[in-house]
Amino acid sequence: MTIPAPLDEVLGELPLVAARLTAPRRVRVDARPENLPALLELLKGRLGFFHLSAISCVDWLEEGQFELVYHVWSDKLKLLLSAHVRIPREPGEYVSIYDLHEPAGFFERDIHEMFGVVFDGALSLDRFILTSWDGPPPMRKDFDARKYAEETFSTVNYHPDWLKDIEAAGGGLEE
Amino acid sequence: MTDITPKDKGSMLRPLKALSFLFREPATLPMKPRPAAKAYRGFHLNDWEKCVGCATCQQICDNDAIRMVHVPELPADPAKGVRPRRPAIDYGRCCWCALCVDVCPTGSLSMSREYIHVSRDLDTYLILPDEKGMHGEPYPRGWTKDDDTDLLDLTRRNMPMEDADARADNFSEICEGYDPQTAMLEASRCVQCGMCHDACPAHMHAPEYIRAIFEGDFEKSVEWIYRTNPFPQVCGRVCTHRCETACSIGKRGEPVAIRWLKRAAVDNVRQEKTIAIALRGMAKEKTGRKIAIAGAGPAGLTAAFDLAKLGHDVTVYEEKPEPGGMMRYGIPEYRLPYDRIDADIDVIRAAGVKIECNTRLGRDISLDALKGACDAVLLATGLNMGRSTRIPGSDHPDVRAAVDLLARITAGEEIDVPERIVVIGGGNVAFDIARSMARLQRRKYGKVDITVTALEERGKMLADEEEVIESAEEGVTLVNARGPKQVVIEDGKLKGLETVKCLSIFDEEGRFHPKYDENDLILHPADMVIEAIGQMSDVSWLGEELTEQLEWSRGRIKVDDAGHTSVNWLWAAGDLVRGPDVISAIAFGHKAAEDIHATIMGETD
Amino acid sequence: MSDLKQIPAIPDPDAIEPSDVYDLYFGPNHPGIEGNYSIRVRLSGDRIIEAVADGGYLHRGFEKIMEERLWMQNIALVPRICVPDPVPMEETYARSVEMIGGLTPPERAQWIRVLMLETSRICAHLFTFGGNAATVGLYTNMFWGVTMRDLFLDIFEEITGARIYHIYITPGGVRRDLPDGVLDRLEALLDELERRMPQFEDLFFNNAVVINRASGTGSMSAEQALAWGATGPNLRACGVASDIRRDDPYLVYPQLDFDIVTEEGGDALARMMVRKGEVVQSVRILRQVIPRLRELKGPVRCPLPNPLAWDLPAGEAYARTESSKGELAFYTVSSGGPRPYRVHVRGASSMHAVQVLEHLLTGARIEDVAQIMFSLDACPPEVDR
Repeated sequence: MTIPAPLDEVLGELPLVAARLTAPRRVRVDARPENLPALLELLKGRLGFFHLSAISCVDWLEEGQFELVYHVWSDKLKLLLSAHVRIPREPGEYVSIYDLHEPAGFFERDIHEMFGVVFDGALSLDRFILTSWDGPPPMRKDFDARKYAEETFSTVNYHPDWLKDIEAAGGGLEE
Repeated sequence: MTDITPKDKGSMLRPLKALSFLFREPATLPMKPRPAAKAYRGFHLNDWEKCVGCATCQQICDNDAIRMVHVPELPADPAKGVRPRRPAIDYGRCCWCALCVDVCPTGSLSMSREYIHVSRDLDTYLILPDEKGMHGEPYPRGWTKDDDTDLLDLTRRNMPMEDADARADNFSEICEGYDPQTAMLEASRCVQCGMCHDACPAHMHAPEYIRAIFEGDFEKSVEWIYRTNPFPQVCGRVCTHRCETACSIGKRGEPVAIRWLKRAAVDNVRQEKTIAIALRGMAKEKTGRKIAIAGAGPAGLTAAFDLAKLGHDVTVYEEKPEPGGMMRYGIPEYRLPYDRIDADIDVIRAAGVKIECNTRLGRDISLDALKGACDAVLLATGLNMGRSTRIPGSDHPDVRAAVDLLARITAGEEIDVPERIVVIGGGNVAFDIARSMARLQRRKYGKVDITVTALEERGKMLADEEEVIESAEEGVTLVNARGPKQVVIEDGKLKGLETVKCLSIFDEEGRFHPKYDENDLILHPADMVIEAIGQMSDVSWLGEELTEQLEWSRGRIKVDDAGHTSVNWLWAAGDLVRGPDVISAIAFGHKAAEDIHATIMGETD
Repeated sequence: MSDLKQIPAIPDPDAIEPSDVYDLYFGPNHPGIEGNYSIRVRLSGDRIIEAVADGGYLHRGFEKIMEERLWMQNIALVPRICVPDPVPMEETYARSVEMIGGLTPPERAQWIRVLMLETSRICAHLFTFGGNAATVGLYTNMFWGVTMRDLFLDIFEEITGARIYHIYITPGGVRRDLPDGVLDRLEALLDELERRMPQFEDLFFNNAVVINRASGTGSMSAEQALAWGATGPNLRACGVASDIRRDDPYLVYPQLDFDIVTEEGGDALARMMVRKGEVVQSVRILRQVIPRLRELKGPVRCPLPNPLAWDLPAGEAYARTESSKGELAFYTVSSGGPRPYRVHVRGASSMHAVQVLEHLLTGARIEDVAQIMFSLDACPPEVDR
């Protein structure tokens, strides 16, 4: 299976875009951050990629990058295209595509909340889920959720009768 | 909002349809809790008889709901892989996903159909499940493991072996070893419970070296192996694998092939790299102390390796032409090729250990001389003399000792290979000699006529099951439950062995006291009778004075747990003092080395 | 008017100027809200001039937790992401893992998965009929819907061992085979459902009051729906025949015979009718799946290594499913190891409960807030994860 010709043509119009078919009806495109909005516009206008399914963010801590993935669906081509861009983790800024795809409003706000990425021109960057959170963006890989839970919340130490009997006999809970 | 008419306005009498409900049974649910479905995931049950305390359930639980509880009254049997602990489940965390049930190696965990617990007392939410149920009420069983839900792979990866025809007349190695991919697949069966570690006499880090193989890091695996065992080539082929007896997977399926994985690790790392890994942690400076070791068997060489790595000057004196002891001279080549023993020993030599062969204590070098020149001497000469049954006729020249013949075969000597042979004994040595002689017979005569007579019944044989099965494939006949009565000699020629039916071997106190039925006699015609009923040590080289000085216990030199004899510069280890196999000798060698080092460096007395 | 997003201090009653513009906080504990969710509306009289959705009450941090768990351990977490319709969650996660690992579940497992998905769709829609009815005060229908669903939950209990969080569909297949007789009982239940549908029709779908309330309420055009990112029944109620089972097929859907139900109007009534039609279609699909499962034999799981020693190669997958609410997608990234590197869950309600809801509420009347939310089948657990 290969990338359909119309898509291949459109992708060829942009510089330095790598594309490959990863599964039936799944195309992966690696774009440069500055080219992505133009790419999405081309895809929407020429090939029917009207539907923005999601924007995902992946934190590549060791590489110092955030990967933003824009998943768009074309009903005409029956194809889901995932456009990947990498932005530096510091300062973690990118442009919003809200004007092109309204659903981006939700995802950009969510990514801002969870990862700390700032989208210039986003519909809203207000808190949605983590209303009274005062810590760092929690989905980042350097945020240790387990440690936070252990420090913030207290654990229950059970002491049922059967445990007391076993402890009296010299046993007990291990580590 | 405009008035929208429904699609079907219907007649005015339509509301009367509601009357049809008048005679309908209402859906009334009883106040009692309704019985759950057959596969319901209710509260946990645990069969304490089957549970071995492996804690695999604790590993798979994704809510950290399971913790192990040490229960002192429970049996602890490291050799069988049984620990005195059972899982406790925190019902504040548990989500009843039943992954613990599906991963449980023994199948002891299951779930009942009980699902209601109401209490204000938080302490009642930590339960120690048993078969009685959370509240002691008899609810039927719910979710249990079956072939579909079982998350473990109970089948061992197949080990390619030479078939009977290909191996019948030669000594080439039967077991071909796992290739790296198969080794990784086999290693993935391990659940890291650690029962193998507890059961191993040398407490090898088996879970760690298996995990390293799974990760594809054979070098890391070799590093873990060398922490406790300088004989991976040997043990990876012939160890008695107590680890596999204790393996949790082996409770319902085939145990993980821990022994063969050890071999796979060291087979897949180049010898130079193995040496580099084994010598990591070597002392940078020499201590200036000298140690002499008598016997280049597993105990002696392990101690030598450890002591050399600690910086001591170690020399091993071996009476045979090649080092290895019973590993080389007792185990046939088709089980353990000689060049594999050499590979292990080369690593030991690389640590600086000097091995002087063809040197017998008492004849070529005196113990007094050693006492003068060294800070410590370790005796590890093993059991290299065969015991005799001393039945009538057993002093005939054609009645041979198995260990003697095996040593000669190894040394490449020409030996008599008669047409008909009977072997007395049912342990591994009996089969070693029977199978070796079978090969020689097949070469000389094109056929095999060997009978092994064992006291034990077929189901209780002391030899490894594989030995019994493979020997049968090679043409060896096995006769069970028969004891040797006499060697029949006519005109000075050996005619055969007469055996008597053995009714029982041990008495009520478990002592060796076989009972025979004297009326059931069979004559097994033979030209040679080989005795393989046990071994004893040759300590004549100790000399009268030292023999007097030492303390003895039941015919063996008495030592403490670390091998220290009553003579302060003398240690003893291995088969010489306590057996019964290579890994025990290795473990003992470690202990002796540690004690020697501590003593001569002044840390203990 | 962004001050609606701030939570204001409690004002001094004497200092308030009389006006007909006031703010009302819906939820998070409110019978007119589906789940735990909050909507802040600014009203002028009884007409909403602005609405702001406020989620987060059901945030459990699943995406973060899943990064710390083994591939197989995550099956216990995933169903909880959508409370009324957990099966598509399990299936989509399993499929995304299978896509990364190059695994194909055995055929029997695929048919069982379709059985579970379609039965779950029926359950979710029955629940929604109930919820929808309650928003217009028709509580009888609420009990009917929930009771009918309860009978289906008995079937789930038999098959999977649990009523709602089945933890049954795993990467590689399903956990256990169907017990004897359950297909017969499911068939009998489908017959019962078909007998009941005319009653639902009489009471609810053909009810003049309900039709009056629902027509024109929360209506959107097809262009608006597509622009706002609506999917599933909400989009099909605007006349757009878009269904992932047809457009981006998975499992054995290409072998099944079913129609895509659409309606014109894009209002609450159309959405209700689409869901009713989908129940009929799901029954139709199940009647094809059940005989096939009766005759098909085979394993229900791929052979997989023990979960404690199971590494997946590096890679990623975007698995999409047509859940009862719309497009459900899992973007799973593996960095080559025993755990996921990232799992991003895209619930259908991410659009419906937030932007679509805010659009539709603007200009609506206060009494229609609950109806609009339920007609969108906006499910807060999917939004919050």
